[in-house]
Amino acid sequence: MIASARRDSDARFADASAAGYATAAMDQIDPDHELVRLARLGDARAFEALVVKYQRRVARHVARWVKRAADVEDVVQEVFIKVYRGLASFKGESAFYTWVYQIARNTAFNFLTRQSKLVLVQEDAAAGEGDERTDTHGSDNEDPERLMLAQQISDTVKLAMERLQPELAEALVLYEVEGKQYKEIAQMLQIPIGTVRTRIFRAREFIAKRLEPVVGPVRNRRW
Amino acid sequence: MSLNVSQLFDGQLEDEKVERILHETAADPDMRDRFTLYGLIGDSLRGNSTPDDGFTLRILERIKREGAGIDPDFDPLADA
Repeated sequence: MIASARRDSDARFADASAAGYATAAMDQIDPDHELVRLARLGDARAFEALVVKYQRRVARHVARWVKRAADVEDVVQEVFIKVYRGLASFKGESAFYTWVYQIARNTAFNFLTRQSKLVLVQEDAAAGEGDERTDTHGSDNEDPERLMLAQQISDTVKLAMERLQPELAEALVLYEVEGKQYKEIAQMLQIPIGTVRTRIFRAREFIAKRLEPVVGPVRNRRW
Repeated sequence: MSLNVSQLFDGQLEDEKVERILHETAADPDMRDRFTLYGLIGDSLRGNSTPDDGFTLRILERIKREGAGIDPDFDPLADA
C-alpha cells in the first residue's frame, strides 16, 4: 500500500514547499514531484531519470514541427538544457511534464522562426549569385537501421501484449495508454492498489524480458 | 528489486524511499536498464518505439559540456 505520507497530499505539499516547489494548485499529485524536488536540490541522478523518462516523448512532440532528425535532436537537447537551467522557476502549478511540453513547444517554434529567417537569407544570397535554392529543411533523414529497430521493438511489444495475461495487460494499458492513475485503476477494477502496482510491474517484466534481446546491442549506449 | 524501479518510474514510491531507490537504480546497470526499458515499453504502447541509441546520454553530455547549472533567474518559458 502507498504509505500514509504519500496519500496525505497536505503533508506532501508542505514537504515540496520546503524546496520552493508549491503544488497546491494541482488537482492531482504530480508523479514526478519527488524527482523534481531532488533535481532542484542538485541531485543529478534525479534529473537524469527525468530525462530518461521523457526524452522520447519530447522528441516526438518536437518532431511534429521540426522535420530533420538531426534538428529534432538538437532542439530536444536545447529543451532539456532549458528545463535544467530553469528548474528553480518551476513552481508546480502544473504537472512537471506539462511544463516541459510548453518549453519544448516554444523551443521548437523558436527553431522554426530561426530557420525561416535563415531560408530567407539563403534565398536572397542565392538570388544574388544565381545559385540553386538551398533546402534547409530537407527530408527526414532518419537512419534506416534505427527505423528497423523501432519496428522490431513495436512488433515485440505487440506480440508480448497478445501473450500477456489479460488482467496484467489491462492494468498496463489503463496506466500507459489510458493515462489512469494507480488509484483510479484500483477503483475501476475493484482491486487493492497494491495489486495494481504488482500487475503493472509483472506486465512490464513480461515484455521487458522479450525486449532485451531486441535492444540488447544498444544497451551500452543507454543511461 | 525491479518492483521498486517500476514504482520509481511511475512516481508511486513513498517520498522517503525515492532518493535511496533512485541512487540504487542509477548505480546498478541491470536496474538502470530496467528503468529505461519500462520507459520504452510505455512509449511503444503509445505508438513511439524509437530506440535510445545514445540519445539520452548525448543530452546529458551536452548539459555537462555547456556547464549548464540551475539558474534561479532563468525562466525557460520567458526565454525567446
